Amino acid sequence: MTHWIIAPILIPALAGLLLLLEVRERQRLRRVTGLLSCIALIPVALVLWQQAAQGDVGVYQLGNWQAPFGIVLVLDKLSALMLLLTAVLALPALLYGCAGDDRRGPNFHSLFQFQLMGINGAFLTGDLFNLFVFFEVLLIASYGLALHGRGPERVKAGLHYVVLNLAGSALFLIALGLIYGTTGTLNMADFAVKAQALEGSDQILLTVAVLLLWVVFGLKAALFPLYFWLPATYANATAPVAALFAIMTKVGIYAILRMQALAFSDGPLAGLGSDLLWWLALVTLGLAAIGALAAQRLGGLVAYLVVMSVGTLVAALSLGDPETVGPALYYLIHSTLICGALFLLCDLLRRSRGDSDDRLESGPPLAHGNWLGAAFFAAAVAVVGLPPLSGFVGKVALLQAVPSAPYWALLLLGGLAGLMGLSRAGSTLFWRVHGEVVGKTLGKRRVFAMLALLLMSPALTLAAEPLLQLCAGVADQLADQTIYIRAVLGGAS
Amino acid sequence: MMLPAIVLLPLLAALLPMFTRHLGRRWCALLVALPVVAALGLLAQASLPIWEGGMQQWSMAWLPSLGLNLALRLDGLALLFCVLILGIGLLVVVYAHYYLPAKDDGGRFYTLLLLFMFSMLGVVTSDNLLFLVFFWELTSLSSFLLISYKQYDSAARKGARMALTVTGMGGLALLAGVLLIGHVVGSFSLSTVLENGALVQQHALYPVILCLVLLGAFTKSAQFPFHFWLPHAMAAPTPVSAYLHSATMVKAGIFLLARFYPVLAGTDLWFYLVTTAGMATLLWGAVWALFQHDLKGLLAFSTISHLGLITLLFGLNSPLAAVAGVFHIINHATFKAGLFMAAGIIDQQTGTRDMRRINGLWKYMPYTAVLAMVASAAMAGVPLLNGFLSKEMFFTETLQSDQLGAMSWLLPLGATLGGVFSVAYSARFIHDVFFNGEPVNLPKFPPQEPPRYMKIPVEILVALCVAVGVFPAITVAALLAVAATATLGGTLPEYHLAVWHGLNIPLLMSVIALVGGIAVYACRRRLFAWYARLPEIDAKRVFEGRIQAVVRLAAGVTRRLQTGSLQGYVAWVLALVAAVLVWQLPNLASVTGERAMLPVDGVSVLCALMLIAAALLTTVLHRQRMMAIICLSVVGLIVSLIFVRFSAPDLALTQLSVEVVSVLLLMLAMYFLPSRAKADSNPLRVSRDAVLAVLIGTGVAVVALLVMTTDTATISPFFLENSVPGGGGTNVVNVILVDFRGFDTFGEITVLGIAALGIYALLSDLKLASAKYDPFGRPWAHDAHPLVLVTLSRPLLPLALMIAVYIFLRGHNLPGGGFVAGLITSVALLLQYVASGVTWVHKRIPGDYHPLVALGVLLAGLTGVASWAFDAPFLTSTFTHVHLPLIGDFELASAMLFDTGVFLTVVGATLLILANLGKLSLLDDKKETT
Amino acid sequence: MELLVALIIGVLVATGVYLCLRARTFSVVLGLTLLGYGVNVFLFSMGGLKINQVAVVGASADPTDPLTQALVLTAIVIGFAMTAFLVVLALRSQGEQHSDHVDGQDGEQRS
Repeated sequence: MTHWIIAPILIPALAGLLLLLEVRERQRLRRVTGLLSCIALIPVALVLWQQAAQGDVGVYQLGNWQAPFGIVLVLDKLSALMLLLTAVLALPALLYGCAGDDRRGPNFHSLFQFQLMGINGAFLTGDLFNLFVFFEVLLIASYGLALHGRGPERVKAGLHYVVLNLAGSALFLIALGLIYGTTGTLNMADFAVKAQALEGSDQILLTVAVLLLWVVFGLKAALFPLYFWLPATYANATAPVAALFAIMTKVGIYAILRMQALAFSDGPLAGLGSDLLWWLALVTLGLAAIGALAAQRLGGLVAYLVVMSVGTLVAALSLGDPETVGPALYYLIHSTLICGALFLLCDLLRRSRGDSDDRLESGPPLAHGNWLGAAFFAAAVAVVGLPPLSGFVGKVALLQAVPSAPYWALLLLGGLAGLMGLSRAGSTLFWRVHGEVVGKTLGKRRVFAMLALLLMSPALTLAAEPLLQLCAGVADQLADQTIYIRAVLGGAS
Repeated sequence: MMLPAIVLLPLLAALLPMFTRHLGRRWCALLVALPVVAALGLLAQASLPIWEGGMQQWSMAWLPSLGLNLALRLDGLALLFCVLILGIGLLVVVYAHYYLPAKDDGGRFYTLLLLFMFSMLGVVTSDNLLFLVFFWELTSLSSFLLISYKQYDSAARKGARMALTVTGMGGLALLAGVLLIGHVVGSFSLSTVLENGALVQQHALYPVILCLVLLGAFTKSAQFPFHFWLPHAMAAPTPVSAYLHSATMVKAGIFLLARFYPVLAGTDLWFYLVTTAGMATLLWGAVWALFQHDLKGLLAFSTISHLGLITLLFGLNSPLAAVAGVFHIINHATFKAGLFMAAGIIDQQTGTRDMRRINGLWKYMPYTAVLAMVASAAMAGVPLLNGFLSKEMFFTETLQSDQLGAMSWLLPLGATLGGVFSVAYSARFIHDVFFNGEPVNLPKFPPQEPPRYMKIPVEILVALCVAVGVFPAITVAALLAVAATATLGGTLPEYHLAVWHGLNIPLLMSVIALVGGIAVYACRRRLFAWYARLPEIDAKRVFEGRIQAVVRLAAGVTRRLQTGSLQGYVAWVLALVAAVLVWQLPNLASVTGERAMLPVDGVSVLCALMLIAAALLTTVLHRQRMMAIICLSVVGLIVSLIFVRFSAPDLALTQLSVEVVSVLLLMLAMYFLPSRAKADSNPLRVSRDAVLAVLIGTGVAVVALLVMTTDTATISPFFLENSVPGGGGTNVVNVILVDFRGFDTFGEITVLGIAALGIYALLSDLKLASAKYDPFGRPWAHDAHPLVLVTLSRPLLPLALMIAVYIFLRGHNLPGGGFVAGLITSVALLLQYVASGVTWVHKRIPGDYHPLVALGVLLAGLTGVASWAFDAPFLTSTFTHVHLPLIGDFELASAMLFDTGVFLTVVGATLLILANLGKLSLLDDKKETT
Repeated sequence: MELLVALIIGVLVATGVYLCLRARTFSVVLGLTLLGYGVNVFLFSMGGLKINQVAVVGASADPTDPLTQALVLTAIVIGFAMTAFLVVLALRSQGEQHSDHVDGQDGEQRS
């Protein structure tokens, strides 16, 4: 009996709880606890990836109850990849937080760990209701984190975020109720099997349920017209939180991908709602490009770039073709890490600009302007998809995989809009300066954390071929849903 | 391995200044120049097979799955460009050492310049189309940094951004075009693509591909109508202009035309698109060049014009014209680089570039004057200089072309007109600057000859102009031949490089151009006056204006969607839901299923009516908060009655206890919020919301009805069967919660715990003014802890705790369990807070509930982990029978321990929330009393 | 009886939706609570309705679906946690922005 699968959930949970027992004032101990957990998650994720890479789907039956009756955790290549990505993002984000942002309000470290627990749980669970529970775990933690620190803007954005997601949770429950009411099961694999057999009114009800699920996941993923909360929430969140949130939209995308691959890739329900996703994603891409062009703050600009990556990804994934899923996963890794880096970088700039904050207007000259400028330039090149960094590889791969004129046009023009927005932002922030340097010192930890994420981009570029192969492997496994179903239901299918 | 070394040496050189900055500019220049010289040496060696008609190739796999390989190729065309890039690059390195201001250590400059050189070499030597695009974008990026070198100068920043935007757009188009070519040919290898020109031209996508590639080429080469960025790129330091706008960046677009010539050229579409753009650019540039008062501006427009000329030649679809085009690439690079450098010297020596002020420099710097004059004569196409030869070929080719049919005379006419203006602006460059009276009010006076070595690069370039012009056959013929062969991708047409071709029409056109040009220059005063009356069009301002307009439009669109109004956002979500329901539900054949409904009884109807009335009242009275809470609690109460009615006692208990705590919470909240709210929804919004509400409500009700009356086989029977044998409890709901789906419960209590943490964080240092009066206008009682309540509540505590223990213990078999027990305990404790105050309670029990929450979840988690010891998965349960007096016989299951965790978490979380919320009012009390 | 329950669900959801769309935090809290009730009853009803058939082994001949009950129980608790958080956030919003408008500013009517 191997218990590795549940480790990504239990490690942060344990750390989060220990943090509650620790003395509040012992900041150092709290940081060490949090960081240790994040460090531990990386080898754990690697071990899990190692297991998943064999091609088998690992199943962990909680309470020793067999599926579909008990809850199972399922580890396939996709979950393992997402776990690894989360771990790689979380450590630098937390390290950045340990440079002082964690003291701007109570319980930062616990919330951070619980957030990780929720995200990892959502990636692992093979049960729909359990997915709901983990969504709630990650949401409630994200509420707390989004509001970490102070300020009316943050509270306002947080309030919007919370209310929208509470409405989303209600919808999620309705969809789950319908799924249970029509298929009589909550297990994802069992659902995939039973859904194929539905007909008549049950099929219509199931369609409603699935479309509602798409709305719920679309809200998490920030798809048009459900992304409106994102720019304000992300732009106003504390830097390490915003960086961690780079993975949050990907949880929604993951859920869509998982459900689609499992239940709607073929059979009578094939492609259910994928047209809708395709068009909504394209609109998202276009509107996010427009938003990036219009942004008045760097934080807002980066947030729109996040939305743009969502549109790019969901459009490609909605096609449900393994040929597109592979490149899309590469792009997902790239965009998550680089957006995380950009949020941290944005905060470093804020710190050096005093009252000008991250507004795109003339401000004081930056201390360390050269190095920050170089980092900004690299991040901008990476995120808009120019060579020589990973965005270019991702973009070329996606363009080759998705032969559709509107997609090409939007992706390329979106890149241009991002380029225009970022070049304006960069030349304003670094070059249109007046007055005296006001910046505080940046802090070695912060710079290190930011660089750690930023340097992922050249790493992703150098290792592009093996990574693309790896993503293609994930996509291939995903394309054959029988592997997953047989592993969970034990040949019952 | 020689090819990658040639490309990589400049990259290596680009890194050097980082380490040698402190040594000063001289060392920087030297260290940077050496690798370039080495690269030139390697190039000479690598070129050996090419003179014999061969080619050098090198490749390494990088991204085979995308077709993107590191593949290089050195053929005639690449060789020509490499010579220009490295050769002129070396001259610029030397020149810049003398040009840059004294305080500039040159580190950044040389790094960027060499990075650019590296990217350019990559573009011209790539043997893989995607690799080519890779370098293409790098040239855009590095040229952005070079143009904005004077970063604190607004003009430099704007010029750079303009160049980046325009060429960036072209780069994206090129990427799309290249991807399509790869799609059509099935390979991104340039060698393969060059062999499959016919395949591309016959494909339905050919027009799209052509347009995309041309968009890339034209933006880079500043062809009309994308020419406008080039003059503004003159904000760059002059060495940069000399490099980018003579030999390299703008020539990259031309290179693209030459490179793809075998693949894309030869069709009518090619002819019309390329010739038109070329001709328009040629004339536009030539005419406006005359009117530039800025020395570099004149050169910039003349560059545009010459680029148009080369483009036009490639567009003519004639092999000879292509040869002429390649020839003019060489000639233009030499004389234009020399002219830019001369202009830089003049700028440096006089402190201005305004030709209305720089006059009569012949007297002060005759040597420089001679160099500049020879170069501009070459630009004008004066015989015995290199420009004359290619221009002569150009005139010949325009005469040969008959593709316009009866309109074919347009080409030579346009060419001659271009020639006339070209002579005119060259004449202006010579006459205005070096003669034309005395200098006017120069910032630096008197100007002198520059340092000896600064002139060397110019001398070399001018010498080349003369050498090629006089002895074309022994100087340039070989290079031209291999480059043209590679361009055409086949055999070279018959041509003859000579100064004298006899008396013919092209010579006549040259004479017309010379005479006409001087005549035009003679009438310059009248022309300038005409120009001055023209409305001033500042391309930068127009472009910025357009961009601003786009940004404003974008901002407008964004504002309309991103209103910052939560109501709008929620409405979008709900509208989507309503749309889903409206779209799908009408497909239903019937809203009821096959199962008969349960009979209705009077009490149920009454309760239902009360609930509906209460829910509606809550809605109507939502602004009167006290009333709304009362109505809401009625709703909650009846909901728990529904659960009782339909055999769900556990739910009813839970609902009821949650209800109590929720109402307490709402009351506390109401205490701080404004007690009444204004009506602030207009009728339109109210009706919109009502429609949404009715649609969604109806939809959900219909769906619910249908499912309730349909029989579905579910997984539930398993739980009923296995509850006792597998879970050790008869209350199946509880067994599901603590055993079958214990993991959900684990998550659930975690959520509760996190919520408490989040709330604690939210409440810390929150300051709120509370209402002095209750919603009915009565002052809140001063007596915070009424005696009656105190005396009543204290004995209640042990009683409540006993009930909680009872509910807890029986939970596994009968309705109850940790959650309800926890809530009862919390309510009892909360009552103490309410009755006796925070201070009193905290004297008796510890006030920080964080550890309690943690212990609860930890206990639940550890129970789960304990099963690992028995080699079972997380949360596997075990149980045994125990007999306790009073309570009776019951199973003691490990799940009980889990349930204890639930209990502790619930108590901890509820108290953490409510006690802290209660403290807010305490803060308030203190404030009032002090 | 099913019709009656469906009606109740419909009314709860509709009133909840309507109140969620109001401009004051307090109303939104009320709305989400009502919506929560509606959703809970909905989820409960997905197992079918049975009278006097509690899901205790041995206590009833044809016990009702225990699974939906367990789900609703979880949903109630999570819903409670979320509502509590929202209520306190509303207070925080009031404290920082001195308004109980969901957008933090009073009176202004925006579309």
